[in-house]
Amino acid sequence: MTESAVRFDGVTKFFPGVQALNDVTLEVAAGSCHALCGENGAGKSTLGKILAGIYSPDGGRLFVHGREAHFDSPRDALAAGVGMVHQELAFCDNLSVAENLCLGALPSRRGLVVREEMERRAAAMLAEIDAGLDVRRRLGELTLAQQQVVQIAAAVGSGARIIIFDEPTSSLSHHEAERLFVLIGRLKQRGVTCIYVSHRMPEVFSLCDTVSVLRDGKLVATRPTAQLTEADVVQMMIGRPLAEYFPTHSSALGDEVLRVESLTSPGKFQQVSLTLRAGEVLGLAGLQGAGRSEVACALFGLEHLAGGSIYVRGARVRIRDADEAIRYGIGLVPEDRKRQGLVLSETALHNTSLPTLGRLSRLTWIFRAKERRETRVLFDRLRVRTPSLDAVVAGLSGGNQQKVVLAKWLAARPSVLILDEPTRGVDVGAKAEIHALIGELAKSGTAILVISSELPEVLTLSDRILVLREGRLVGELSRAEANQERLLRLMAGLA
Amino acid sequence: MQAFLRKIVSSQETGLVVVLALLTITLISLAGSHADNATGATINNFWNSHTLIQTATDASFFAIMAIGATVVIISGGIDLSVGSIYALAGVTMALFLRMLGPLSGTATTLVGIAVSVGVGLLCGLLNGALVVGLRVHPFIITLGTMWMLRGIAFVATKAESILVPSSLTAVTKAPLGLGGGLYPVPMLSMLVFTVVGTIYLARTVMGRHIFAFGGNIEASRFAGLSLNRIQIGVFAVSGLTAGFAAFLGASFYGSTSSGDAQGYELYVIASAVVGGASLIGGKGSALGATLGALLIVLIRQSIRTLHLDQNYEWIVIGCAIIVAVVIDQWSTRLTARRLSRAAA
Repeated sequence: MTESAVRFDGVTKFFPGVQALNDVTLEVAAGSCHALCGENGAGKSTLGKILAGIYSPDGGRLFVHGREAHFDSPRDALAAGVGMVHQELAFCDNLSVAENLCLGALPSRRGLVVREEMERRAAAMLAEIDAGLDVRRRLGELTLAQQQVVQIAAAVGSGARIIIFDEPTSSLSHHEAERLFVLIGRLKQRGVTCIYVSHRMPEVFSLCDTVSVLRDGKLVATRPTAQLTEADVVQMMIGRPLAEYFPTHSSALGDEVLRVESLTSPGKFQQVSLTLRAGEVLGLAGLQGAGRSEVACALFGLEHLAGGSIYVRGARVRIRDADEAIRYGIGLVPEDRKRQGLVLSETALHNTSLPTLGRLSRLTWIFRAKERRETRVLFDRLRVRTPSLDAVVAGLSGGNQQKVVLAKWLAARPSVLILDEPTRGVDVGAKAEIHALIGELAKSGTAILVISSELPEVLTLSDRILVLREGRLVGELSRAEANQERLLRLMAGLA
Repeated sequence: MQAFLRKIVSSQETGLVVVLALLTITLISLAGSHADNATGATINNFWNSHTLIQTATDASFFAIMAIGATVVIISGGIDLSVGSIYALAGVTMALFLRMLGPLSGTATTLVGIAVSVGVGLLCGLLNGALVVGLRVHPFIITLGTMWMLRGIAFVATKAESILVPSSLTAVTKAPLGLGGGLYPVPMLSMLVFTVVGTIYLARTVMGRHIFAFGGNIEASRFAGLSLNRIQIGVFAVSGLTAGFAAFLGASFYGSTSSGDAQGYELYVIASAVVGGASLIGGKGSALGATLGALLIVLIRQSIRTLHLDQNYEWIVIGCAIIVAVVIDQWSTRLTARRLSRAAA
């Protein structure tokens, strides 16, 4: 038996409205790569953040290299050799890579920062993990993948022997993710213990030796990866057999509800034309940065248009802001739910009714009973799991937050619904539910435009798929013609 | 019933009410008493109708403005110009009434309210339009208008004090059956504004929009809210409350000058913040603002009642503001934790 690098002993953690962790006991072997899997809200990230000193546990004990640890801050954790790479807690965007890397201990002489020394140290830290980056660039100018590399360099450079990766690939391209895996491989070789928080099965299986599955804040099991299949892990994560959604389209399409001709926004997309019929699900595929979300925002009046025209039910319209879009019956579930979709400090109820308050009020007076009734119906339909309608959305899991965003747009009863990454960061169970909902909406005559980075998602949902590359439409595939390979080739420009 | 009780206990303002109650009890027990001149009965130096109404009157002028300031703060903005709006609204009303000459009591009152509230509203709209039109942070815009508006008042009055018609004073000092030199009108106005402000924030579409705007501008844009209208609206509300407070203050004291309400903006913001409004936006209440104003006035009053050295007033108030906000943050965190355990 190898020595354990980390041991959680009966760890418990509460958040407003939820118990995030319930008596979790698990051990991570030194030098291993250990996956923490679970649906969103299962507690896997919370566990990682406790180890990294971002949260302190409400109960239980934590041992690092056999010694009991009490971390009050990420700094304490780092001092004990625990570093974390994650999305939200990046660095200071306004400072350079070098400044960020040396922030904890800026080399100084008589109170003045010695720039050369700082840059030399930063470059050395990056070289340590075989990464080459200009240390003078501002962090904000780097891609997310590059910022991640900086975080890893910071962790390794400050002597971290345990590194936690929290959903590291969620906003990386395929290529960038591959490079990250190579880097993690190198860290493993050097004996660094990696804790990999993810719900992406292929990554977990190719990288990790051991996997621990959490569900509803409790540990389900810890097993060597070799003894498991992906299906086993998914099964443990959701605790019930997975009901895949297979769309059964009657393909009874209605009239054309939306037509777009030569839509152009300089530097973002050019000459985009498309039509959308009632009951149709149109997929919009493309690599990140191909202009997918920009097209969606343009249709919703949030992007300046240099040219082109939009027709709703045959009539030409000018959409200058979201309010006008809503009045033409267009809804948009935006890409980034925390930034664009929700007011995190507000309740689930208030978030849901926000775009529809006009209908729920007269002379600015809100009919609260009606508001509650309608929201209740939507939440039941979408199976939103919240302690109450008055729960603050910041405390809900990713899947439930996304359902609140969906509820908000269903309440507006749109005839055209644009869904930008409708299941990003959503657990498997909620994902299946959202897919089923999209099918239902199409069946009842809503015209749907789906944007997704996950090709299987676009493929299962769409009747027809348009491919964007560098701001231009480069292809259209029917459901029958479409498969992952053809899509990829079009997206990458290999076809 | 139990749910109702729990709601009260966990509500934002409960902590403030407890602090106010403790302070009141302390004051009653330490204030001492004196014999009434007429009846000879023993009267507590603090717990008597005269001192209590006097304290509430002191609070009312900036409590009303603090409600407006809270609306701005919930939207994530700040309004530093309320003191100057107060001064400009007050002197404009007085100048206008002087120009019109003698009118009936009712007409004087109506014109007085219309002018002061109108001026306040216009100044607020100006603030809002500048913030929206120039895309400059409200702190800067209202810092600028704070000096500009007071300067206009200064020039317009040639730095003189202007008397307000006595019929206005008769209205704001109406005894309403209380007699004995007690003037409840400012206090009642404060209560009315608190109720109206609470309803405005909690029950109207505009109120909801303000919370959404302050909580997340981007999400509000995606929800189709008219961001400019919301932002102009909050400054209009703030200006309006300053205008009304000016009417109340000017008529209560019988005269106005361009130097009125100097430094009020800070008392007003302090009241809002002590009342639980978050400068990040998205959080605050009208009741909190009023309670915050009452707390600050009560602290000032306690220095007088307890015969402490008046020179320490600012030091005490400054400390009290920081302590109040820290306690509020602690209690919010504690409540959140307790609620989460209850739910789990």
